[in-house]
Amino acid sequence: MKNRDITLHINGEECRLNVAVNRTLLEVLRDQLGMTETKYGCGTGECGACTVLLEDGKAINSCLTLAATMDGKRITTAAGLSDFGRVNHIQQAFIDEAAIQCGYCTPGMVLKTASLLATNRDPSDEEIRHALEGNICRCTGYEKIVKAVRKAARTMPAPAACGAETCTEVAQ
Amino acid sequence: MSSRILPDFELLLPQSVPEAVELLAAHRDRITVMAGGTDVMVAMKFAQSPAQLPDYLMSLEHVPGLAYVLFDPDKGLRIGAKATIAELLAQAEVKQHYRALWNAARTFATVQVRNTATVLGNLLRASPAGDCSCAIYAIGGTVALQGPAGRREVDIDDFWLSYGVTARRPDELAVELILPPPAAGSRCAFKRMTRTNEDLAKLNVAVRLEMAGNTCVDARLAMGCVAPTPLRLTKTETLLKGRELTAEVLQSVAASVPWEIDPIDDKRSTAEYRRQVSGVLLKRAIQEACGAA
Amino acid sequence: MNRETIVGTSAPRVDVRDKATGQALYAADIDLPGMLYGKVVRCWEHAHARVVRLDLSAAAKSPGVVRVLGPQDVTANRYNSSVLDLMVSEQMHDMLGDIEDQRIFTDHVKFQGDAICGIIAKSEEAAERAAAKVIVEYEPLPVYLTADASKQPDAIRFTPEKPGNLAFQLPEPMFPGHALGGGDVEAAMRDADLVVEDVFYVPKQKQCQMEPHAYIAKLDSTGRLNCWTSSQMPKLVQAKLAKLFGLPMSLVKVTPTVIGGGFGTRLGLISEPQACAMAMSVPGHAVKLLTLREEDWVISPSRHPGKYWMKIGFRKDGTPLACDARFENYKGGYYLDASGTAFTAGAWLGGMYKFPALRYKGESYFTNQGLTGAYRGYGNPQTNFVLEQLIDRACAQMGADPVEWRKQWHKGVGDDGWCPGVTYPSCALDECLDRGAAAIGWSEKRRQYAHQSGTVRRGVGVAVMNHTSGAMPMLLEHTACTVKLNEDATAEILFACSDMGQGSHTALKQIAAETLGFPFDHVQLSSGTSDVAGFDIGAHASRTIYVGGAAVKKACEDVRRQLLERAGRHLQVSPDELDIRDKRIFVKADPARAIEAETITRAGVYHFIDPATGQAGGEPGQIQGYVSFFAPHNSPPFGASFAEVEVDTETGEVRVLELVNAHDIGRAINPAAVEGQLEGGIQQGLGFVLSEEMYYDGNGRILNNSFTDYKMFGPSDMPKITTILVEDPDPVGPFGAKSVGESGLVSPVGAVANAIFNAIGIQFTEAPITPEKVLKGILEQGVRDYGSIGGAH
Repeated sequence: MKNRDITLHINGEECRLNVAVNRTLLEVLRDQLGMTETKYGCGTGECGACTVLLEDGKAINSCLTLAATMDGKRITTAAGLSDFGRVNHIQQAFIDEAAIQCGYCTPGMVLKTASLLATNRDPSDEEIRHALEGNICRCTGYEKIVKAVRKAARTMPAPAACGAETCTEVAQ
Repeated sequence: MSSRILPDFELLLPQSVPEAVELLAAHRDRITVMAGGTDVMVAMKFAQSPAQLPDYLMSLEHVPGLAYVLFDPDKGLRIGAKATIAELLAQAEVKQHYRALWNAARTFATVQVRNTATVLGNLLRASPAGDCSCAIYAIGGTVALQGPAGRREVDIDDFWLSYGVTARRPDELAVELILPPPAAGSRCAFKRMTRTNEDLAKLNVAVRLEMAGNTCVDARLAMGCVAPTPLRLTKTETLLKGRELTAEVLQSVAASVPWEIDPIDDKRSTAEYRRQVSGVLLKRAIQEACGAA
Repeated sequence: MNRETIVGTSAPRVDVRDKATGQALYAADIDLPGMLYGKVVRCWEHAHARVVRLDLSAAAKSPGVVRVLGPQDVTANRYNSSVLDLMVSEQMHDMLGDIEDQRIFTDHVKFQGDAICGIIAKSEEAAERAAAKVIVEYEPLPVYLTADASKQPDAIRFTPEKPGNLAFQLPEPMFPGHALGGGDVEAAMRDADLVVEDVFYVPKQKQCQMEPHAYIAKLDSTGRLNCWTSSQMPKLVQAKLAKLFGLPMSLVKVTPTVIGGGFGTRLGLISEPQACAMAMSVPGHAVKLLTLREEDWVISPSRHPGKYWMKIGFRKDGTPLACDARFENYKGGYYLDASGTAFTAGAWLGGMYKFPALRYKGESYFTNQGLTGAYRGYGNPQTNFVLEQLIDRACAQMGADPVEWRKQWHKGVGDDGWCPGVTYPSCALDECLDRGAAAIGWSEKRRQYAHQSGTVRRGVGVAVMNHTSGAMPMLLEHTACTVKLNEDATAEILFACSDMGQGSHTALKQIAAETLGFPFDHVQLSSGTSDVAGFDIGAHASRTIYVGGAAVKKACEDVRRQLLERAGRHLQVSPDELDIRDKRIFVKADPARAIEAETITRAGVYHFIDPATGQAGGEPGQIQGYVSFFAPHNSPPFGASFAEVEVDTETGEVRVLELVNAHDIGRAINPAAVEGQLEGGIQQGLGFVLSEEMYYDGNGRILNNSFTDYKMFGPSDMPKITTILVEDPDPVGPFGAKSVGESGLVSPVGAVANAIFNAIGIQFTEAPITPEKVLKGILEQGVRDYGSIGGAH
């Protein structure tokens, strides 16, 4: 097949699409759906600017993913972490800790943070740094990003209080 | 130079292993198999000529039942074709019984790639730098291949034929990897050298030692980035077998490695350097396996 | 005590909410109706070749193709993609020998990736497919990768204007003997008790900004050429494009987009000429031109590599007598920025220590490597790697403490800075050295590491640097700024200089709010577009706060003066007796006598005449402030870095354990942003000295133009970082601020190299200092206790 009908659930919304089979998820998100918060940085899975999350909070590189193989998948982009401009605790932590400079890596960084905190609520600095490998930042030296992840962990809503709305933050 | 847009191809999405094998048989050399896709996607973007591009891309996405990592104390570890590096890491028994593989997997690429790339894919890429490949080589095991005539198992020792080439025939699907059960006294370790922490190895090494007290009964030593495929250091192994692991023995082992490898200059290091540090890295891996490091 | 309430706080950045949610629009994110896609066909096979045949016919017939453009289909005008030529007088420009040697599409390939032709198609895919159908035949030419190769008499000339392929040397009229400095170097060297000398190699480093270059261009129905670009200098891009295409500037509009990192790579033009040439062939249609990461790597200029020779003479008591140096850098195939780094590397050398005699020669030779140009630090890390290692070599031999020696001999207040006649108005380097040394535990660790055993050795090292705040007096330092007050007494500021992500617009807003006496949120600042914003040379030379901030402050003072004058007339006091706080204008001696700023601004805008009385309330006229500002001085920042490293002597691997960056920044307008600059600088400095280098095969084809093959320090490689902001307000800079944009990466370079020296007693003359080089050094020279070298103790 050269084209395929697929359904993606992106940030909680169902999207029915006809995609050319040689399109990456990154291209479909950006060019077909206009979701430009997912960035092209290298196209080879090294920089993490194109990071998106799957249902279990698993981070993947959308530049190395064929959209046609993602039928039925739930996907979260950086826009999905915030609620129409109301930033979530991770994004707020990045703002508070001055962890954002040029901002090009930021959508990938906040998603990577969400994926880390989904499985490890209290990561050590070493665990944070290990987890952030694969998301390149050329501005900050990572110092304030690590602080932001620490702060995001501290300010994470408790699981008991995790209503439908806040849960979408990590696991659409 | 690569392309931003992937080349044209037909996507095949078989629903079962037999269907996948049938498609392989039908298209043979014109088909590329994709499980995680982290290597295949990059290779397609960077293909230099149309001859390097497949007409068909077969994704295993819809083939059920291949994403397992199963441990049995008597039979060993079975890793299905779709099991990702992350899924391997999630298994406590892997960390406990196959430490070398677990350590290789832990530093393998990045979170995103570990979530997507498969263990079998690392073997099938047949790169001399593969970290998991190196660890698996030392541990030993077999790769199960499903073809039109049925299933056969290839010993990992016979799996890599040359750079990028494996014993898999064009009409065969690699379905699982089987690692031997842990033996009492068996110890293993993995070490690698990189330019920065997140990098492909410039040199990697894995060891599996069968120990009786401080005496090495048997040894499997594997090294990467020193030959066109991952390399067993069989001559050096003989220096260990039946010997007590004294400082002198370790010294002779370290001194033997440079004579057994054939590294090249490349983007990540030089042949000279790889020779210089190969013995040190092996010695450290042995020490780590024995709990001395 | 500072009386300011907004300046000096880490106000949250103005752009971060959009960036956190992914709503910020970078050039590639912008989509216009009916947009077409461009693709530049480049020469990947050769680094030096002539095009003997170009056949576009198959590409033109490819599905979806709208136009194909060869060299004949675009302007034959040449250009220089750097902007330095716009920043000097015509006379200076002639003396420097600046040339325009680039073409939109070329038939003489001078580096791998040179542009051959262009495709415009209805989709990116169609453009790419068509590009693959372009037939180009080349005649390969000899490839020159070093100055030694390209300066040979029989080498092919890159351009007829530059004999011997010498793109630039310091010009004789300004620098007698083609050398910067003064004093009798030969004589001083003869008097020296100790001379240290070596030849170094400094690497070709890549900016690796995260956003690949992307452009949109459109020739609109009024005949105006529009270009959306993330250039660091939109106004100069406007001027350059107007000249290239022979258009009046009023028919060129540049719209700056959000910048995904600059670090010098966006200084001037990159692919704006190609994007605009494409757009001009399809009037009325926007053309988007995107670049692949590996393409970005080769088409944008990177740091100048080259050979750097230096010799320093001392008296045995440590007194420096003379410094003799020559930096021979390898340009890429074109001239751009040839004069810049060749000069500044020496200027910073001259600005550092009190050498009574100095002779520095800087030369740029064409080679077939990828382009070289501006990269954060601009010649300074190269000099730091060389100078600071030689100083430490001398210190070891003389038994001097490297911190104490530097404190004694660095230049300071009143000394000439990077250009003779422009003296340092402030210098807090001693405090940087003291606080940095204390933070890393200098004395204790130096004692401890002087004698070590075992396979793993540790060392601590120090290096210092001076940089610049703007480029006065060498380059134009001109910035215009407009401030208008709305009727509700909120301010809107137009200032053309881009914020590359460093937070400059936030800090400028703080300066504006502080000056006006308005709340932070009642001030808005924007770069505008080139048709509405006033002149500004752009974000380079660490100038945005020092020069731009001063301009914003002056424009705001203009507004403030007008407000106070009107308030004074209303309150019947002299404006000098008034102050503004929170938009309330009051008599300083009697704060109860006051008027709200809004009362004045509203009356100025809504100036109605009462039909009953025929009188109007208040004074008419919207208040606007304006300045066309030329920086009167240059107040360079200083910095000291301290590094602690661990060297594995069996493998040559170096681990950086801690890096302390203590910087004399005058005053931190926004401390969090300043820290961010210094921390980010460390990551790039560590890369320069330990891991980053672009390299080529023998045919000039790059081998590592990807993040897979070019390694930068990642999050888990970074050491413990301590940032120390030394605040000693500068008498010139706005609110005492000096620059911080580039300097953070400079001295970590020398500090790490010197820490390795301290650990194993070996110096390395080639950067980056990879494990391969370290192990080679150890095997050849053996590990030495630092304490056993010369008179070191």
